[in-house]
Amino acid sequence: MREFFGSSLVKVGLGVLVLIGTALVPLVQSQQEQVLTIAFDAADLKTLDPHFASATMDRAVVDMVFNGLVRYKPGDITVFEPDLAQSWQVNGNVWTFNLRRGVMCHPWGGNPGYELTSEDVVYSLTKAADAARSAYSGEYTGMTFEAVDKYTVRITLPTALSEVLFFPKIADYAGGFIVCKKAVEDLGDDAFKTNPVGTGPFMFQSYSPMEKVVLVKNPNYFRGAPKLDKVVVRYMSDVTARESGLETGELDVIEGRPEQPWVEKMQAKPGTVVDTFGPGETVVIHWNMTKKPFDDIRVRWALDFCLSREELVAAIGPAIAEPLCAPVPPVLAGGISCTDVGVLRYDQNIETAMALLAEAGYPNGFDAGEVVTSERAEYLIPMQNIQAQLAECGVKVTLKVVDHSSMHTLIRQDVNPMVLYVAWRPNADAFLTRFYHSASIVVTGAKPDTNFSHIGGVDADGDGSIDSIDSLIETARSELIPGKQIWLWQKAQIEIMGLNAAYPFYIKKFVFARKPNVNYGYTLISTLALYPPINELTSK
Amino acid sequence: MAPAPQLRYHSDEMIGYAIRRILISIPILLAVLTIVFLLARVAPGDPAQAILGDYASKEAVQALRERMGLNRPLWQQYLDFIVGLARGNLGKSMITGFPVARQVAYALPYTIELTLSGIIFGAVFGIPLGIYTALRRNRLPDYLGRIFSLAGLSFPTFYLGILLILAFAVWLKLFPAVGGGDLHNLGDNLRHLVLPGLTLGLIMTAYVTRMSRSSILNVLNEDYVRTARSKGLRERIVIYKHILKNALIPIISIIGVYSIVLIGGSLLVEIVFSRPGLGKMMVGAMLQRDYITLQSVMVIYAGFVVLINLLTDLAYGLVDPRIKYD
Repeated sequence: MREFFGSSLVKVGLGVLVLIGTALVPLVQSQQEQVLTIAFDAADLKTLDPHFASATMDRAVVDMVFNGLVRYKPGDITVFEPDLAQSWQVNGNVWTFNLRRGVMCHPWGGNPGYELTSEDVVYSLTKAADAARSAYSGEYTGMTFEAVDKYTVRITLPTALSEVLFFPKIADYAGGFIVCKKAVEDLGDDAFKTNPVGTGPFMFQSYSPMEKVVLVKNPNYFRGAPKLDKVVVRYMSDVTARESGLETGELDVIEGRPEQPWVEKMQAKPGTVVDTFGPGETVVIHWNMTKKPFDDIRVRWALDFCLSREELVAAIGPAIAEPLCAPVPPVLAGGISCTDVGVLRYDQNIETAMALLAEAGYPNGFDAGEVVTSERAEYLIPMQNIQAQLAECGVKVTLKVVDHSSMHTLIRQDVNPMVLYVAWRPNADAFLTRFYHSASIVVTGAKPDTNFSHIGGVDADGDGSIDSIDSLIETARSELIPGKQIWLWQKAQIEIMGLNAAYPFYIKKFVFARKPNVNYGYTLISTLALYPPINELTSK
Repeated sequence: MAPAPQLRYHSDEMIGYAIRRILISIPILLAVLTIVFLLARVAPGDPAQAILGDYASKEAVQALRERMGLNRPLWQQYLDFIVGLARGNLGKSMITGFPVARQVAYALPYTIELTLSGIIFGAVFGIPLGIYTALRRNRLPDYLGRIFSLAGLSFPTFYLGILLILAFAVWLKLFPAVGGGDLHNLGDNLRHLVLPGLTLGLIMTAYVTRMSRSSILNVLNEDYVRTARSKGLRERIVIYKHILKNALIPIISIIGVYSIVLIGGSLLVEIVFSRPGLGKMMVGAMLQRDYITLQSVMVIYAGFVVLINLLTDLAYGLVDPRIKYD
């Protein structure tokens, strides 16, 4: 017996040791190359066509590959800078852009690349305006685009718009990213989704499904060659795996978990820096005013007084959450801060809440029924907290937790008496139109979208007439005097708060962790790319 | 000179049996396909909305639904899928537009190498360990072996993976914790395979050790073992020729069954180690409502189950010539 084990086991053991030994031989990677690896909370990419990209991991790649006519200043979304356009003029509803010369489209599929001209810009904006070829077509309705000469583009709007409303449409965000015409036509729309060709600091090199995208530096980038040689974007849905990768040094930057304990845990790790930054996403609860008893303004007031914004912010954590007291966050033009909103903050007052409930005929509270929410922590944690807070006033909420995609479908079918929604929109008009204009009412609106409260379609205050802020939103949209426009947006929000269609809770910031040697090359305050942008200045 | 025709007869029997089994598996695969097809579409959630996000205009979502063919009748979508499959066309991902066959071709080698390494590790260590502990029944090695196999059976795969990452990647910095490595670079590929392979291998070893031990114990007191020993045969011959050969059938059976479990287990390992693979592909497809990719991956999984069952059955005959393929 001893002989048997003495021979067989030793042989097997030796074999395995040899195998492991072979594997252990470290492959000394070239330290000459500066490769930055960033991992996102995603199973795979969805699309790298910038006119469809909406998820964080997709926005990240397109942000590195494409440019807009103008751009948000890196790290600060409150300032616009020239990008592909070096200057512009406006005359009423006509904008004329003078393009930068010598901007090169990246090479693709054997093609050496070429100089970007007005023809490409017109093609790209026309594509962005086409519902079949863009998710953001609604932003460009009624616009016309014209190539005046090789380096001049004219955009005519159906009505004049202020800079603050127009620039997001042509900036390095969503439909504003400029694609290279010849590349799109050569590759076709489908292939372009996984072979993006733009003018940005990094060029697409390869895509490994469910694993990674590799970008290489664009030596001809018009702002100068990037300091990094390569950027590897990895798709890693498991946060523990991302943490391990950061600790082992295989990853340089990782998408974090928007939870205070996670931030604290990572901050405590030596050799790790945690960045929390804005603009963040607004977390707002919308009361469905078509469902009883939410149709009664006294009940909605009662619920507002029952809720504690501070308690929820404390539960989510100060590193992640900032109180939000109006539909439009203060970082945007037209936003209102918690200080300025005054009594419409509806600070918690359980006594007042119970008195209002009693007045409405519910002295012991009521059963609000089933509320569908997402399994994602960003939805589930606040919703559970809201459930507990409302229970203090005798209001029973039964949570039905479904997967994220199902939640989006179901809430758009108007199944919920209340909808907690986490969202970012690029300006006040988008926030107000998408959530509070009557055309956006779910199911029944002219262009059903995300008006879950039905404001504009119901009598919100019980005076017998429909309450709407449509005209305020529309007037503000066409207003060209910045101060007046801001005043109109704020007035619309005061109306919404007065009618109590929604209760804004907090702004959820974005969380990423990185190795300390990663230098983004700018001060990160806020970014619409939803990740800490990697650009030509980034180094490690 | 007599054995040759017997062997040929045996292999003819095996081929006939394999063909029959493959033919029988076609309706099974079809049933799996139909169930997956229907379940994927019964679940709420709109792939077009999932792709475009909540900022997309309604028109854009509608246009994409149209392009994806989601507005067509269900029976038509089903028919297209089956016809495509019969032609060997797995279609294109509804999300990325990337050909599913290319995705599978990329992911499959990673899943195969991972599963195979788990099976081989389990068999190489589990069988000798099972024999060793059985031959030392109720002694210290046996107790330790039983504790090990019980721990292995009760340990969640993902948790073991995380522990191995902590130990060997984070603390000792011996192996990488992220990705599957480059398939064209053997060293890199092996380095990335060690920890995931060990994760599955240790679990498999626990199963195989347990089954080998009980299987060996069943034959240990048989008359032919006593006879062999009383004939004065060397212990090695007794173990190899008399004990192990007769105990192999249940061991093969358990390796077959747990290989199927292992393919499922590889899913978690792929996620923990962020390796490419069919499991990761399936989860991604489910989350993104990518019906086409999901269906294709399920077909491959079902095919694997059928294949492994078939190979297991065929292996019985190789080990024990008394088994006939009817």
